Amino acid sequence: MSDVKFDGVSFRYPTGPADVLRDLSFAPRAGEITWLFGPLGAGCTTVLLIAAGLAPRHTGGSIGGSVSVLGHDPQATETALAGQIGFVTATPQLQLSGIAGTVWEEVAFTPANLGWPIERIRPAVDRALEELAVEHLSRRKPGTLSGGELQRVVIASMSVLTPKVWLLDEPATALDASGRALAYQLFRMQADHGATVLVASEDVEALALVADRLVVLRDGHPVLDGPPKTLLAGDAIWDEGPGSTAVAALAREAGRMVESSRFAAPYPITVEEGVARWR
Amino acid sequence: MTAPAFSRQGLARRAYPLTGLSVAIAVTFLAFLVPAPWGPVSLYVASIILVALAGVGRAIRQALVVCLPLWLFLFVLHGLLGGGPKIDLGLFALSADGANAALAQAGRFGAIITISLGFYRAFDPSRFLNAVAARGWPMHFSYLFVATLHALPAFVQRAATSIEAQRTRGLRFSGGVFGRTRAVVPLALPLILGALAEVDDRAHALEMRAVAKGGKRTPIDPPTDSWPDRAVRWTLWITVVALVVWRFVR
Repeated sequence: MSDVKFDGVSFRYPTGPADVLRDLSFAPRAGEITWLFGPLGAGCTTVLLIAAGLAPRHTGGSIGGSVSVLGHDPQATETALAGQIGFVTATPQLQLSGIAGTVWEEVAFTPANLGWPIERIRPAVDRALEELAVEHLSRRKPGTLSGGELQRVVIASMSVLTPKVWLLDEPATALDASGRALAYQLFRMQADHGATVLVASEDVEALALVADRLVVLRDGHPVLDGPPKTLLAGDAIWDEGPGSTAVAALAREAGRMVESSRFAAPYPITVEEGVARWR
Repeated sequence: MTAPAFSRQGLARRAYPLTGLSVAIAVTFLAFLVPAPWGPVSLYVASIILVALAGVGRAIRQALVVCLPLWLFLFVLHGLLGGGPKIDLGLFALSADGANAALAQAGRFGAIITISLGFYRAFDPSRFLNAVAARGWPMHFSYLFVATLHALPAFVQRAATSIEAQRTRGLRFSGGVFGRTRAVVPLALPLILGALAEVDDRAHALEMRAVAKGGKRTPIDPPTDSWPDRAVRWTLWITVVALVVWRFVR
């Protein structure tokens, strides 16, 4: 079952010389974390903007093919599917409401805009703050938080909605190691509860462990699609451009210098796998 | 992201958000309706007292900085170059009518600028949004109003960051007028282009956060509209209407 479907989608920005997406067909499955990965300009962020209903409505440009999100065409709805989609980007300071006096009010901003009754808002906000371990910041002004704290607050302000679809564009860039672990744990939990989680990221080391499916884009077209652990351990992902984890890169380079089955594909992708093979 | 510019000290903390807005608008009207020159001057004094009571005294100093060059210009234009009977003050002759006109204009500028800056500094976006949400105002309009007032401190903070960034790259902001003018372009360009580049991202985020959805927003802990607040607002508006009528009927 899939809440998000792309069928033969092509897209071109108004100032772009060529299509950013070409004949893109794929459907991230509910209950899974689908990871979009590709070299710069591959079109990963554009996929998220289209699914959110923001492109081409806000960005301009022309779109072909069909897109379905939660049974709707995101282009046909009057406004984006606000409240049903968790949308997080790498720039938390630009995702704040800009007018909330406290972190608590920031997290309550979208539910209040959606007209939720206050009896529903209060427990939902408290739960979201707790999930992201930012309940101690609830009375702070958002403008006084660090980048990592802000990103947690932004994720909490989406988590409060318990969205069925998460669209995440480099969601952990501003986070430290513990924040990243917490955020990915939350996304994992959301997927386990049946949400569709679509992440565009170059955070190879983290997503290698947490994603269920990897879709590699090149020039706006899917070139690889499969389990991350399989694809990251192979040679094809290097041929297509984006590369793999640091341990896989080390194994691959070593294999070029020393002919040994210890350094041949499939490469280890984590430190633990490397230690197990090379011990 | 910048910290909100509002202050929650003094009257500003206790007053209903629409009362502050009403005072600012009413003073602007009254400045042109009360009899000149002492009406506007009295209004300016009243504005200073109100702003001080609101706990945003800094606005008085800021208003003074804005007003001083205007007052000087008005004094030269009306007082020295004005026509009519002159009062000899030794070094120069002062036009009596011009001095009155300058005083009236100075009072108007002083009152409007002081009360506007006071309102701006006392403005609490969150309380305002909750107050107007409780009254059923459309979210689009409320957000636009609040975000516009809130954009300035964000821009000022961005400018400060930009100055620091350019300083580390060797740009000098000190020196004479020529040096400072030359520094404006490398400072302003990244500032403006950066702000424009962020517009898309911010618009995306706000749409996903249901700002454009329309409909009624749920007020969170809305401030109480007490009877003294209502009395102040009604008194102000009745006074404005009465003065308009008096002006045009007499």
